[in-house]
Amino acid sequence: MDSKMSVAETSVIILNKVGLHARPARLLVQTAAQFQAKVQVQSGEKVANAKSIVGVLKLGAARGDTLVLRAEGEDADEAVKTLSELVLRKFDEEE
Amino acid sequence: MTVGLVIVSHSSRLAEGVAELAGQMAQGKVAIAVAGGTSDGGLGTSVDKIVSALHEVDGPEGILVLLDLGSAVMATEMAVEAFAQASQHPVVISPAPLVEGAVIAAVEASIGNSLQEVAEAAASAYTLPKVHERNG
Repeated sequence: MDSKMSVAETSVIILNKVGLHARPARLLVQTAAQFQAKVQVQSGEKVANAKSIVGVLKLGAARGDTLVLRAEGEDADEAVKTLSELVLRKFDEEE
Repeated sequence: MTVGLVIVSHSSRLAEGVAELAGQMAQGKVAIAVAGGTSDGGLGTSVDKIVSALHEVDGPEGILVLLDLGSAVMATEMAVEAFAQASQHPVVISPAPLVEGAVIAAVEASIGNSLQEVAEAAASAYTLPKVHERNG
């Protein structure tokens, strides 16, 4: 492998009303899947693969909870940036 | 091309509703077909309808079938057997609960996962707590 590996991490607070329920979780997973990097999302002590809908739903993350987004791979920085923006935009939900 | 989904239910309206929900999750990226009710529009399952639905979403990535209750399994097994005469593509019958399974499968298929990955994710729908217990 001659691709440069990088690691990125950031924390974001969930702002949308329903938290990481079906629709927001779906958006998170579909967005994470656009990147080559391995992406993990952590809520409290639970860690999930951000590309697994079951894993993300099991976090049960709610409004006000902190999500730690951690990526590893060539496009790790971009992945973490894009995902944190999605969370901060409240998953584009109208409220 | 992604894994295709077939929704089998005793009720055509239930099948349509589940497909609508799963379709919203898949964002148009996944072929979803329904086989609900009997051929005369009553409650029950129809092998012919299931075979047609399998052909509708047939593709090289294979098909995951999600179903509601009891005899739907037998009808689906017969349909899969008939379908196999015409198509080489793999079909998996999911043990998942219908709604959760379909929604999970739709998301997993939408990101291009393999039939095995989609089937495993759907099967693990049982492990999702429906009501999260939260402390504080």
